[in-house]
Amino acid sequence: MSKLVYLVPLFPLLGFLINGLFRKSLSKGLIGVIGSGAILASFIVSLVLFFDVKSAGAALPVEPLFTFINTASFKIDFAFQVDQLSSLFLLIITGVGFLIHLYSTAYMHEETEAHFGRYFAYLNLFVFSMLLLVLGANYVIMFIGWEGVGLCSYLLIGYWFKNSEYNYAATKAFVMNRIGDLGFLLAIFWLLSKLGAVSFVEVFTHLDKLTPGDITAITVLLFVGAMGKSAQIPLYTWLPDAMAGPTPVSALIHAATMVTAGIYMVARSNALYSLSEVAQHLVTIIGLATALFSATIALRQNDIKKVLAYSTVSQLGYMFIGLGVGAYTGAVFHVMTHAFFKALLFLGAGSVIHAMHHEQDIRKMGGLRKYLPTTHWTFLAGCIAIAGIPPLSGFFSKDEILAAAYAKNPVYWGLGVAGAALTAFYMFRLYATTFLGNFRGTHEQEHHLHESPAAMTWPLIILAVLSIIAGFVGVPEVLGGGHMLRSFLAPVLVTEHHPEIEHSTEYMLMGVSVALAAIAIIIAINKFSKKPQLEEPAGFGKVLADKWYVDELYDAIIVKPLNAFAGFLKNVVEKSGIDGIVNGVGRFVQYSARQLRLLQSGQVGSYILFMVLSMVVFFLVYWNQAMITHFFQKIF
Amino acid sequence: MTEQQLMALLPFMVLAAASIVIILLIAFRQGHTVIQVTGFLLMCLVIFAMWYVRGVLPQTIAPLLIVDGFGALFTGLIVFCVLVVGLFSYIYFEEREENPREYYILIFLSTLGAAILTISRHFMSFFIGLELLSISLYALIAYLRTRNNAIEAGIKYLVLAALTSAFLLFGMALIYMETGSMDFAVIAQRLNAAGKSSALFLTGFGVMMVAVGFKLALVPFHLWAADVYQGAPSPVASFIATVSKVGVFAVFLRFCQELHLQNNSAVMMLISAVAILSMISGNILALRQQNLKRLLAYSSIAHFGYLLVAFLPGNNTGVEAAVFYLTAYAITILAAFGIIILLSPGEKDADSLSMYRGLFWDKPFMAIVLTVALLSLAGIPLTAGFIGKFYVLTAGVEQRAWLPVIVLVITSVIGLYYYLRIISTIFADSPVTIQKERSLNQFFYTASYAALVVLTLLLFGIGVMPAVIIQGIKQFLVIDR
Repeated sequence: MSKLVYLVPLFPLLGFLINGLFRKSLSKGLIGVIGSGAILASFIVSLVLFFDVKSAGAALPVEPLFTFINTASFKIDFAFQVDQLSSLFLLIITGVGFLIHLYSTAYMHEETEAHFGRYFAYLNLFVFSMLLLVLGANYVIMFIGWEGVGLCSYLLIGYWFKNSEYNYAATKAFVMNRIGDLGFLLAIFWLLSKLGAVSFVEVFTHLDKLTPGDITAITVLLFVGAMGKSAQIPLYTWLPDAMAGPTPVSALIHAATMVTAGIYMVARSNALYSLSEVAQHLVTIIGLATALFSATIALRQNDIKKVLAYSTVSQLGYMFIGLGVGAYTGAVFHVMTHAFFKALLFLGAGSVIHAMHHEQDIRKMGGLRKYLPTTHWTFLAGCIAIAGIPPLSGFFSKDEILAAAYAKNPVYWGLGVAGAALTAFYMFRLYATTFLGNFRGTHEQEHHLHESPAAMTWPLIILAVLSIIAGFVGVPEVLGGGHMLRSFLAPVLVTEHHPEIEHSTEYMLMGVSVALAAIAIIIAINKFSKKPQLEEPAGFGKVLADKWYVDELYDAIIVKPLNAFAGFLKNVVEKSGIDGIVNGVGRFVQYSARQLRLLQSGQVGSYILFMVLSMVVFFLVYWNQAMITHFFQKIF
Repeated sequence: MTEQQLMALLPFMVLAAASIVIILLIAFRQGHTVIQVTGFLLMCLVIFAMWYVRGVLPQTIAPLLIVDGFGALFTGLIVFCVLVVGLFSYIYFEEREENPREYYILIFLSTLGAAILTISRHFMSFFIGLELLSISLYALIAYLRTRNNAIEAGIKYLVLAALTSAFLLFGMALIYMETGSMDFAVIAQRLNAAGKSSALFLTGFGVMMVAVGFKLALVPFHLWAADVYQGAPSPVASFIATVSKVGVFAVFLRFCQELHLQNNSAVMMLISAVAILSMISGNILALRQQNLKRLLAYSSIAHFGYLLVAFLPGNNTGVEAAVFYLTAYAITILAAFGIIILLSPGEKDADSLSMYRGLFWDKPFMAIVLTVALLSLAGIPLTAGFIGKFYVLTAGVEQRAWLPVIVLVITSVIGLYYYLRIISTIFADSPVTIQKERSLNQFFYTASYAALVVLTLLLFGIGVMPAVIIQGIKQFLVIDR
């Protein structure tokens, strides 16, 4: 049984190799089948594993594949760990991943064979890396997947590599992620130097060997890694730009995979985080700030994908609030529901963009309800789910986080609810502007409007159903549910504590958040379905539309000085300093080669003379060695 | 002499008999192929004999010889090299004007000399072994006697080797005068008893060093190397580069170990100086060389400089590192010369670098073998050369011989330059095709190819799994303790 788990990442890896190597000779249909089939196969194996874990109620025993690094002071295995947390993530990644692959076969059909193959190869590699990340039984294997995900996101965001702006976005994503990775890497080194171990089991059972200072440092550094991967302040700016990639890629990055890596890592390390007050506060505050900050930006975006991008950043903020206040189940729950509805929203947006011939500006849409019925209904389901209206899934997961935040500090709750109301507002602004009212595009666009093919609508329908019903796995006790997810995850998330809140209080909290969201929805629909915001924003709206000028700020305080310094190094230090020395040494060696060759005259007589002379020199040195040793001792 | 002592000498007796067998074969007018095959089998027999007598080691055959793990190790290496050189020789001499049959007598005599050196524990056997080695070499170098280069190289080697032999004898005499003995162990005792090493001993050692330095082609006694490598037939050059040097290095190492010369600061200073000079001059001289055989000569000067760095510590790590390095070096240089031999047209050796331009596009297999050999010489990871250099470096660092270690690192970088220069030539465009008829003997041609494959695999194998070889070396050396 234990060997079965290696199949999960193996299928996407094979898919990557086949599609990558033979992309020029395979037909598009075959490439699509191989790419999607690999993920489907992984999904089926993941299902088996999931039910094994569920019935066993404990982690499955998995043999290490091989010893990855072996030194005198530590040993790192290439090993996988299949427990409740990772098996749940496996399902999310392969399940949603499969739907996105399926959707891509239709969405990307305009590409040529070679590029189509490249696309699916990257996509499979991406899923492979993500699977490695969640399956790894130690931080190092996790880091390998972590880096792989970063690389693949770079490749996919820059998929249309002929557009230099897209390449810039890809580079930005990579660099931002690298900054975070440094934190992660330092945390791993710290663990190695203090514990000599990086496997989860060993680290979490030897926590008593770490001082509180160590734990705080490690958790904060790990969180820096999470900030990069999961797009939290201050490293979030790459994610909205990452919209440059094809829309299914955005769905994959934002819903099922990459951005949830940070959440997974913190949830996995919950034993560490629970021991550090500082880290918990930091995580909560960063999460809260990100949730609110990006929600405000999303209010005034006009690109359909940008709105969704900022909403992702904001929802990730909520997940971190959950992690920070100790509601690990809530955070994982929200990862799951968010995976469904955000994938749905992105794929829906893709369907819209597909119908509109690559038009992404919502000001030029409107009234699409008539033309794209399936897309419309599923998109609406996604919007309601993300807004947190019961009984759709978003309500349950968000509510769990907010309740835990209330137990920690009512102020957290207040801010969280405000953010939730903003979420409802901007999502329905998006919905109303896109689907309600009258069509505002060109006549030609209107003529070509059509519903997307079945390969695109079926994933939408499946995801919509999941978005609606997924919440029922975590119905809280107060609403008469048993919260299956919590009892399932309890063996892994051992340090979670469940605050006791009065039932009446909890009813009140839910009531307030639902009421606020409902009010926001009504205002948004009323305001934007008839009279959308078409004009260029002015005043404070412009600040929001320009994303609080954070990119410009980073540019001014980091990028420009760095560039100037690099220019100085290149033009002054490198040219006159380093080059001079290097070339000088080279010239000297060449010169001495020419001189030394003169000794090789070919004359035996001169050879003998040279030998005898050097022997004489040696003897002179011998007889005066005391003096010479003294001389050498002075030098060295 | 006891039975066991006789048994311990069995491999050496087989080796001595090999030359006589070849003489008899010539007397019975056998052809080249028969002689070649017999020679090959005889060498295999030597190895078998070594395996057969492994139980009785170590054996001292007073006063001249000692057959121990150390000697067995070096003898094994020597016989291995001769096996490969012999195989390559067939193809080479089939296409030359000279009757090749007497060549094998000389080769085996010379090998016997080198083998005696590895087991000698007395000045007498030292000198006899060395002369046996050298005198055969004079003839071997000038074997293609109608060619000017070969005659010139042979005469040069003769004159210089005779001179250095005189120095060696004089050095031995001085040491004998001081200690009253020619037995290494007794010399060590007497020196210990005296406490402090006298000027007479140091002078004697210094004079002996001339001969050793000459045989190992160490600076400043290296001047012959390039001329002889270039002039000698390629198989003989590879023989000089491997067998002759391994034998002399073995006896030198044994002498120094026996006398604990590593504790003698004056001797160490002399050897460090020679090592540093060799590393620097060898690499610098090779830098602008256009002739591959000369280039390999210079590079061997540098490599024996590296080897002396491993020699400096005088502890077990040092000896292991030295043996390992020699093994890696021998395999590498045999692979490189093997390519030269196989590519050489009948009238001239393929030694000009211009003949290798674009070799990869014409003969990819040979180009790859040569590239691997050059990378190993340069000490690039995954090859035996890297592990050898790393081992030497470790030994040097352990002993805190900082100056030689630093020179080793810096000169390795210089070395990389000219090795890469050859590699870039091999892979250059516009290939020069070497026209060569290959109808002569398909069997030996294939066998030579197979030998090259084995050598290349060994280079990688030792580079990837050095532990196997290191364990083997340790097992041999443990016998002596």
